[in-house]
Amino acid sequence: MSTNPNVKKYRSQSRTRRVSLSVTYTILIVLGVIWLIPLVWIVLSAFRCEYQDDGTFIGRVTSNFFPKAFGLKNFTDLFTATYYGIPGAFPRWMLNTLIIAVIDCIISTFLVLSVAYCMSKLRFKLRKTFMNISMIIGLFPGFMSMIAIYFLLKSVGLTGNPSHPEYSVIGLILAYSAGAGLGFQVAKGFFDVIPNALVESAKLDGCTSFKIFRQIILPLAKPIIIYQALMSFTGPWMDFIFAKVIIGADNAKYWTVSVGLYSMLFGTHPDTNLFTQFAAGCVIVAIPIVTLFMFLQRYYVEGVTAGAVKG
Amino acid sequence: MASLKLSHIYKVYDNGHKAVNDFSIDIADQEFIVFVGPSGCGKSTTLRMIAGLETITAGDLFIGDTLVNDMEPKDRDIAMVFQSYALYPHMSVYENMAFGLRNRKMPENEIRERVEKAAKMLDIEDYLDRKPKEMSGGQRQRVALGRALVRDPKVFLLDEPLSNLDAKLRAAMRTEITALHKSLKTTFIYVTHDQVEAMTMGTRIVVMKLGYVQQIDTPMNLYNEPYNKFVAGFIGTPQMNFFDVTLKREGNEVVVHFTNGDTIILPYENVSKIHQRYLDGKTKVTFGIRPEHIDLDENERGLKIIVTNVERLGNETNVYGKLGDSLGEFTMKDEGNNIVVKVIDRDDIEIGDIVYAEPNPAKVHFFDAETEVTLMSRIPEFNTVSAEVSGGGMTVMGQAAALPPAFREALGENRQFELVIPPDAVIEGSDFSRKVAKVEKADDKNLAYLENGDQYLFALVGEGVKAGDDYHFSLRNEKLNLNAGGREVLHALDDEDFLTGTFSKTEVKEKGDRVLHFFYNIGDMKIEAQPEHGYKINAIDGDSCYKNSYRYGVPRDAVRIAGAGENGLAAKVVKILDYGDACFAKLDAEGQELLINVEKGFDRKQVRVTFDTEDISVYSTEIDMKLC
Repeated sequence: MSTNPNVKKYRSQSRTRRVSLSVTYTILIVLGVIWLIPLVWIVLSAFRCEYQDDGTFIGRVTSNFFPKAFGLKNFTDLFTATYYGIPGAFPRWMLNTLIIAVIDCIISTFLVLSVAYCMSKLRFKLRKTFMNISMIIGLFPGFMSMIAIYFLLKSVGLTGNPSHPEYSVIGLILAYSAGAGLGFQVAKGFFDVIPNALVESAKLDGCTSFKIFRQIILPLAKPIIIYQALMSFTGPWMDFIFAKVIIGADNAKYWTVSVGLYSMLFGTHPDTNLFTQFAAGCVIVAIPIVTLFMFLQRYYVEGVTAGAVKG
Repeated sequence: MASLKLSHIYKVYDNGHKAVNDFSIDIADQEFIVFVGPSGCGKSTTLRMIAGLETITAGDLFIGDTLVNDMEPKDRDIAMVFQSYALYPHMSVYENMAFGLRNRKMPENEIRERVEKAAKMLDIEDYLDRKPKEMSGGQRQRVALGRALVRDPKVFLLDEPLSNLDAKLRAAMRTEITALHKSLKTTFIYVTHDQVEAMTMGTRIVVMKLGYVQQIDTPMNLYNEPYNKFVAGFIGTPQMNFFDVTLKREGNEVVVHFTNGDTIILPYENVSKIHQRYLDGKTKVTFGIRPEHIDLDENERGLKIIVTNVERLGNETNVYGKLGDSLGEFTMKDEGNNIVVKVIDRDDIEIGDIVYAEPNPAKVHFFDAETEVTLMSRIPEFNTVSAEVSGGGMTVMGQAAALPPAFREALGENRQFELVIPPDAVIEGSDFSRKVAKVEKADDKNLAYLENGDQYLFALVGEGVKAGDDYHFSLRNEKLNLNAGGREVLHALDDEDFLTGTFSKTEVKEKGDRVLHFFYNIGDMKIEAQPEHGYKINAIDGDSCYKNSYRYGVPRDAVRIAGAGENGLAAKVVKILDYGDACFAKLDAEGQELLINVEKGFDRKQVRVTFDTEDISVYSTEIDMKLC
């Protein structure tokens, strides 16, 4: 059978596609493995349950990647051990962190959404100037203000005050939530997509600005509320720097979980065999965040992409 | 139900952009007013100012008898239907309609009654439990109407409510909204860019362009007597044809010369309102004729056209062509020779055919080539008659009359001159007499065509004057322009003079309260302003009003010579203008000119004048804006 000379030869689209996909997936798998190794290592270490020949527990990292024995000893120790003279320190730190994160989550979400609503739907003098300033401030890392915040809180007795160490928790909540309003940009992007006509219509229907926010804007802003709540919750839950600075080294009872875990590795605790317990702590800390993200992922994506495309 | 009054409304944004300029209209109760114009003409901004969603920069807005400039939208008792419907997506139809009533703390049983009544009227009873997203565009639009309806407002505002609907639904909704207006007997203000909606729905239409009102009139008046070329082109589909032409009066006919050499002849009677100076065969004017007012003449009379396109719409055919007999090179550029003719019962015309178009002489329009204003306004702006100095007097329109000293002085050596007479300067009197050829209603006035040689003298006359009567009249000399030697030698006196000054305030304690007094400062005079004017200027310009200068419009009737000891503006008497029946003194007040009514024989060299402040208008000097 002779080839028709008039038919132009072309490259097979399906073949090109197969090759390109193979290359893409190979790169992604390699990157994925590199990215996952530390995580796998932490999880494996958390369940590591090895003993020396003399029967003593090996609490350190050994040269082998995969543990020779698995068990829950690290977890039971973590929850029952006394650290820094505080019995049940880890659950206490978890509770401290939860209280701080929940309160901050409520305050910050309200502040962020309120500021975003004002910036998006209200018109007032210096609005644009404020938005520009807030954007410029946002370009600097938050911990730049750490020393200033520390001294401000110290001046009102809200840092590691020896007579009232519990006040440092209030100080920490203040540090996390007071500046939250400046992070309004994403929520503003979401509110910008809500038509102004709805706001105007509500005005004609006799609503005040706050009522419009409460009855019209918020019910339409579920994804951004959830996104913002997640962000406000995970911030304190995972923060180390502010917690370390504001609560102070002497108030182990009021530490957050990240400060506590860190101290297991580099602290002044006499027992240096705590790495596997640290790993178990990391796994425990990750559980609430992972659970929240799993259930609220849909809203999170809607929230984070809000305003990107005019809908 | 309420009337509305918009008085000199302006909207100026912070960046200086003037969105609405000097918008004034009186809207009667139960009127259906349509604001129409292209994008960016300020129609929606005006509507939003009425709603209270935009602040009013200057001017007064009354709903009923209440000044509402500073009133919250919710308190204005208006309801608005938005282009996007603006239904609350998380609420059911019932909740959407009830929302405004609940905010007003209306009892729930009354809310239910109102919502159900409105739903029944709009045929959306079955959808009350649905969410807006579960409804079609037309149904959503009805819900939006229903939400306005339940409020039972004084005024309905509708902002392009049909523009999101398809053509068929739009036509149906148009009829429904018109019927709704009739049944509700409420004032409707409707914004659209669609001239078909405007023509079919409005009792009166406001045509706007670039923030300026072009014409406010009934649909048929807009169609038949457009004030300018923009209105003429905006109303009507396909739009009016325009051509550059010159006009030449030849006896009882006027010859229209097209730029390509074609001519058509119109009877003078049809264009008698055009001023003579446009009929000289040289002055360029714009000729306008609607496609439906052109006949295709079988006898090859009229304008020769080569057909470039034919649109057969079934009931009618639009024939597109070019003047002349050659298609030439194709270009999208309008070369001023394109023409559209709307014909009925003609399906034999093909592209490339030569046809002859004959405009209906009774339906022609002419516009000034520069200003684009009609040359055939309902009330002509002025008449021009020739006159001559004879003996001690003058001869005007063949009749002798006294020559006012002001005229004599202005004319100098000239003996032949022209009098430019506005129709309202022709007043009942005994100096002249002319036969009335016809009388017609123009706006709410009576326009008389007085026979005057080969042209008409237009005059505004009282009731009872009819065709065939001899009309006896005099002229208000101070309202006339005098042309002599090819130039204007004397300009009619304006009724208002403008003086520049500043604005100030003082604060005094009266019975324990701090009270502000505002003042206009003109030259060395400081006169107290009306408090409401003072507060208004302060509200518009803020505290910079005390640094700004303003133009004060002072009507002649408000100027008087100050009494002894009264605060006044010192002025030199520059000249006495004696118009015979009336006499005026021209004053120079520190470089600013103004006129004052005086008695004959007035001979003072210096006077102090003062003004009745309630009659003074205040204008911004920075932008052309009347503040109060």
